[in-house]
Amino acid sequence: MEQVYLFGIASQRTSWLATRQTLVAENVANANTPGYQAKDLASFSEVLASTRLDLASSSNMHMASLGGTSDSQDVVTETPWDVTHSGNSVSLEQEMLKAGEISRAYSLDTSVVKAFHRLLVMSVKG
Amino acid sequence: MSDPLLSPLRIAASGLQAQSTRMRVVSENIANAQTTGTTAGSDPYQRKTVTFQGELDRVTGAEMVRVGGIGTDETPFILEHDPGNPAANAEGYVKMPNVRMLVEMADMREANRSYEANIQVVKQAREIINMTIDLLRS
Repeated sequence: MEQVYLFGIASQRTSWLATRQTLVAENVANANTPGYQAKDLASFSEVLASTRLDLASSSNMHMASLGGTSDSQDVVTETPWDVTHSGNSVSLEQEMLKAGEISRAYSLDTSVVKAFHRLLVMSVKG
Repeated sequence: MSDPLLSPLRIAASGLQAQSTRMRVVSENIANAQTTGTTAGSDPYQRKTVTFQGELDRVTGAEMVRVGGIGTDETPFILEHDPGNPAANAEGYVKMPNVRMLVEMADMREANRSYEANIQVVKQAREIINMTIDLLRS
């Protein structure tokens, strides 16, 4: 079932985007906290690359898979645009840019899921 | 980490609260910019400062922000020659508060800007939740 895999990727991506949104919220909330380092997520292609080779296992005795699971979303320190005197590396413009990007990607994602859902329903109804 | 769709709202709310406390402190400073002491040679209003610090929320595992503490600015008071003032000392000098309007205005604009950024995050988080709910409506 290829479609189901597509749904899987889409849901993985929405969860990645939602986590990224949480990090943006954290950065903005701490935009004036001294010494705070802005955070970001590892890019989605890395997440995808580490999950594609996941092995299905039904018992603890099975061989462990090499890749991580979809939950292992590495939080990395963001490359800052500027660091203020207080050691804070949050740039509000950068965060707003990221927020816009997340919103756009999320809307694309939900549209894709909707389209596939319509496709499935169409093939069922005939 | 709990639901990543809902934690942005909580985090942004903590940011809004911290920034509004900062606004309150700035307005206290501006309101008291001319508050002198009442007896001769006494100290006037001392400028207040606000500090923020990160706080790990144990429920969501997210790093929120809170007001670390409201301190006082230790810069020396400004002396003005005004012998008729009740707070004037023997030489006729009055200690004025160490509040500088320009600094307060800059601080206020920065608090305003951060507040707006947090509001933007709330709006966007709501938008994303709506998009997810719309999946069920298709």
